[in-house]
Amino acid sequence: MLGAASAAARDYLQLFVVQPYLELHTGPGRGYPVTQVVARGESLDVLMRRTEWFKVRTERGIEGWAYEGDLQHATLADGTAFKIERGDRAGFASHRWESGVSAGAYAGATLISAWQAVSLTDNLKLEIAGSQYLGNLSNGYLIDAGLAHVFMPEWFLSPFVTLGGGYERVEPKPTLALPVSSNNQSAYVGLGARYYLGRRLFLRFELREHEVFTNQNSNEVKNEWKLGFAFFY
Amino acid sequence: METRICILLLSLVALGCSGCAIFHRHAEQPTASSDAQPSPDGDKSDTPPTVIEPQVERREIKVPTIHASNIELGAYYGEISIQDFGAQPVAGLRFDYHISEDFFAEATYGRAKGGYTSFETESNILSFTDAERRFTYYNLSLGYNLLPGEVFIGRNLAMTSAFYVLGGMGTVQFAGDQNFTVNFGAGFRVLPTDWLALHIDVQDLVFKSDVTGVEELKNNLQATIGATVFF
Repeated sequence: MLGAASAAARDYLQLFVVQPYLELHTGPGRGYPVTQVVARGESLDVLMRRTEWFKVRTERGIEGWAYEGDLQHATLADGTAFKIERGDRAGFASHRWESGVSAGAYAGATLISAWQAVSLTDNLKLEIAGSQYLGNLSNGYLIDAGLAHVFMPEWFLSPFVTLGGGYERVEPKPTLALPVSSNNQSAYVGLGARYYLGRRLFLRFELREHEVFTNQNSNEVKNEWKLGFAFFY
Repeated sequence: METRICILLLSLVALGCSGCAIFHRHAEQPTASSDAQPSPDGDKSDTPPTVIEPQVERREIKVPTIHASNIELGAYYGEISIQDFGAQPVAGLRFDYHISEDFFAEATYGRAKGGYTSFETESNILSFTDAERRFTYYNLSLGYNLLPGEVFIGRNLAMTSAFYVLGGMGTVQFAGDQNFTVNFGAGFRVLPTDWLALHIDVQDLVFKSDVTGVEELKNNLQATIGATVFF
């Protein structure tokens, strides 16, 4: 009961070292030297996390950084295992958030795109992307939102399909006569693949076909491709 | 006579006390007798057995969450050499997300103002308006912490540091046009505390432009110092 009461009052998570010893580095990286060692059975307070490293404080008040791969063997005060979300293959297959940056082409113009996704399930992602394209005749912006279905997210190379819609803003260059900016709604369908690089990073390649609903007699079809890096967390 | 009166009073008091006791027993007797009486149904009573519920409040133990500090937000200031337009002060904002101990993603937004070209200086003819001289850019980069280390100041102060390289892409808006830009460079980060970082950066922003009449690659070197706060 006393242990439970003290755990309830703690500001920081308490862990107990199970392995023979735990190394503490001076900084959050493997390149920083090891200056302290914590023995088996001693407890730690976890102060914060930065990437794969946890800043901890020992019973003696010594602070240092412990690697997540070492801490995953530690236990909580009730004896259960300490679980960490890691940037490994299991994390690649199942995670909550993704962010990424891509470059490519949109209707022949150079494209820069940044996107954010939230996982509804391991297979289904809700995505929003903001893009800028720079062409010879016009520049413009795209804002898209849609769904992506990832097939076999546990594979190194996992294909996906996308479906969504958004807005396109076209800003013709002033070299053309009477340049008039326009905003158009659009819908897109696409496919692509993601390749796991390691440590939360992956590559993403995508092809899209946009149907742009213009004020003219017919809609425009614009093709897009982009390749970029992304990370999950 | 007085003795008889005292005896009489004492007798009355004794009688009163005994009467209270009698009344008391009389009041308890019916209850006791009713409890003692067997139930008409005997052991086949429908009354469920009473279970004693412990009056203990369940304690909720909240496991403390671990604060993740992977985001860096800050500003920088320095000098940028805009090709053909001289070296000018530059200031900007930066946002970093540390993906792993090795890699980080960075977004920067900077502004400067181009000076005068040699042609403008010699001919006294201004080719660009003040608005067109505004040099505005953003970059999206991926960085790699190449050399993590420590900086020692004196005998008792050690600060973690890292030398990093980064590269990315973005746009530059300058001289009435917007250009796709590739940026690359290197920097040095030192952390006096866990939440504060100081930066020294050198980057080249390269884009293709025909602003001076011939389309060519424009190299725009910038050197900045900055400070960021970890969240």
